[in-house]
Amino acid sequence: MKKRSSEETRVLLGNVAIARGIVEAGCHVVTSYPGTPSSEIIPAVAEFKKELGLNTYLEWSTNEKVAFDNALAASMAGKRAAVAMKQVGLNVASDSLLSSAYTGVIGGLVIISCDDPGPHSSQTEQDSRFFAILAKVPVFDPSTPQEAKEMVKEAFELSEAFQVPVLLRPTIRVSHAKQKVILFPPKILDRPANFKKNPERWAATPRYRLILHTKLNKTLKKIQEKFEQDTKWNYEVRKGQGTALGVISCSASFAALMDILEELNLREPFNILKIGTPYPFPQKRVSEFIKRHQKVLVIEETDTVIESQIIDKSKVLGRLTGHVPLQGELLPEVIYDILADVLGELGIANLEKSVDARLDKLIEGLELPVRRPTLCAGCPERAAFFAIKRALPRAIYTSDIGCYTLGLNLKAVDTVIDMGAGITLASGFYQAYHQDKKDIPIVATMGDSTFYHSGTASLLNAVYNKAKFILVILDNEITAMTGMQPTPGTGITADGNKGRKIPLEALIKGCGVRWIKTIDPYEVKNLIKLLKEARKYTQKAEGGIAVIIARHPCLIQYPEELEEGRVKVKITDDCNGCNYCLDFFECPALVLNEEKNRVEIDRKYCIDCGVCIHACPKGAIVPVEERPQVR
Amino acid sequence: MKTQIVLAGIGGQGILFASKLFSELGLKLGLDVMGSETHGMSQRGGSVIAHLKLGQFQSPLNRRGTADILYSFEENETYRTLKFLKSGGCCFANLVSGDRFDSHVLDYLKKKEINFRSYDASGTALKIGSILATNIVLIGFSVGTGLIPFQYQDLRVVLEQLGQKKNLAINLKALEIGFQEGKKD
Repeated sequence: MKKRSSEETRVLLGNVAIARGIVEAGCHVVTSYPGTPSSEIIPAVAEFKKELGLNTYLEWSTNEKVAFDNALAASMAGKRAAVAMKQVGLNVASDSLLSSAYTGVIGGLVIISCDDPGPHSSQTEQDSRFFAILAKVPVFDPSTPQEAKEMVKEAFELSEAFQVPVLLRPTIRVSHAKQKVILFPPKILDRPANFKKNPERWAATPRYRLILHTKLNKTLKKIQEKFEQDTKWNYEVRKGQGTALGVISCSASFAALMDILEELNLREPFNILKIGTPYPFPQKRVSEFIKRHQKVLVIEETDTVIESQIIDKSKVLGRLTGHVPLQGELLPEVIYDILADVLGELGIANLEKSVDARLDKLIEGLELPVRRPTLCAGCPERAAFFAIKRALPRAIYTSDIGCYTLGLNLKAVDTVIDMGAGITLASGFYQAYHQDKKDIPIVATMGDSTFYHSGTASLLNAVYNKAKFILVILDNEITAMTGMQPTPGTGITADGNKGRKIPLEALIKGCGVRWIKTIDPYEVKNLIKLLKEARKYTQKAEGGIAVIIARHPCLIQYPEELEEGRVKVKITDDCNGCNYCLDFFECPALVLNEEKNRVEIDRKYCIDCGVCIHACPKGAIVPVEERPQVR
Repeated sequence: MKTQIVLAGIGGQGILFASKLFSELGLKLGLDVMGSETHGMSQRGGSVIAHLKLGQFQSPLNRRGTADILYSFEENETYRTLKFLKSGGCCFANLVSGDRFDSHVLDYLKKKEINFRSYDASGTALKIGSILATNIVLIGFSVGTGLIPFQYQDLRVVLEQLGQKKNLAINLKALEIGFQEGKKD
């Protein structure tokens, strides 16, 4: 191994810094399911593993609960383990989290749950720190990538010392921030797997669970004492002698607050108490800080974890008093405006508001087009949604989480609730209508990775309870939205090695489905025909669930796939600007020329997939060169 | 030295690469580097924005009205992100030749003493062989104007270090042509 200087610095993405912390802590096993903003952690560990010649076991698991349990077992066998996910992934893994808090761990177990205030790429703005309270596990809340890296290492030490799982909660502005970070060499821990049987702990019945709970509460007390004394993660930034206002802050909000204070240069600056370990809550430290000030403002992201835990709230300003917004990201300008209001209210300083209303008004007056996210030009999922909408225009369309949520734009997605709900809502809708003896078409859509994540349990249930609907699996052979992670369908593992492939067809057959067809969605006409056949099958007395696997690789991941089949198209004078293709095909490469009242092709985006030929009711989109076999 | 930069545009315009270029430049100049990137759903054709702060900072985001430099590679995104600039800041906007920037907004920028420079970086990039070099052309242009505190030679070295073999030649050309055009501006 190359000798490394101990003071090497690199600019790292927060998630890469977290990965580095995992490696520096000597962690043996790392598992994850991809989800923004957590997806870069495992690939970065894989890079460090290669660079440093480590023997780390890495796994893209099929879902977050699976990832959690696999990491937990490694920890029970005495190894260090980490599991990473996005905040809604922790909902999926919560069963494991709550139970393992009672049984505890042997080797350090660190759970990384990345929050998404905004939300930028999630269904909810939930605060993972509340899960720490619910599960009764300690939580670290970093403000910067550098701090996140160091906290990971501390979390391992704490987890091992007290035999509890420990949560790290970076928000998106830590995970996707980048910073100059100091690197240290990895710890090498020799920990041969050695599971020591102890059924009263590892297979505890309710009677023993009570004992474990009592023990956990005692442990939490000890950790709380430790956090009360700690000055590395919980510290005061003394800015002045002023006692009129103190601020308690944490996470990325703390970092923004520090930069704002630096810019403001207040005549009477205020003190800030930074809390890096919000649970178990360092109550005494916080009370002492509050005692020294007349008012205390709590600025934390995303919810009221610190604020709610303060026992005497009589001096406290925050979300519960309406001084901090209850939703949305605490962007620097939002924090600035909160400060301006509070400083004004308390008569400490008069700050101008950060929002320049004149500029906002000018820009608003321009009526700029809203740039909504859209499926890429050539995306096979667009072809599938277009066919679904054409074949069964009045169906209920239940869908799921992934790029294909954007089937919304093609009006072929009616519901998006959580991973797996594409199928469970379809069976639920079927049963609700069937109870009233009503037969309605239902088309569920779900991506391949989502199906491996939570489709099977949903499908088993639907088959078992005799639901009838169409399920279209949009198989692009990758987890696209989160940045191209492999799936069990590709059979590639997290460090790029070969795993065992599990074909969708066999899996779906195993779920008891008897009508399964595979088709390339680029064959729009055939897919429409197939959807109509599928509908008929769902209407038969002996029918059931019809599954269509619409298989075409993601063109971002597999651009070479297009090479053979390029079909350059043009738009003829038959186009009368009816907008049908814009509304129901919605390709970024098709744009309306308002002056000419006709649609044109934007060659910047067009990748010559030729699918839009099917999207014009007038037949005005045609191949430039007549080919013998246009799809 | 403290410099706050915002890079804005739409997915696929090389904003993350431009941000990487400046962060490596910061490292080379011995500065602390802090920044933020867009990942996930917003990458699917939506607006992409990168923040970069060189020097002593803790937060990766630029607060409205505090950025020194704005690079915008797309016209509508320019309008949307002007709010980040401080009085006396600089905006370098990619603007297709023939297109005009809104005169009321220009008046506003003048009053705020914001230095607004537009240039058809995409046009130039296309001419030298790749629309993908738009980002580097505009950065070269900004250095040429002498309005930003970075040196052409430093950027060139960093660009070479980043060593994207496939695109290096065209990127170096883009930097140089942009630089020459900026000098003329």
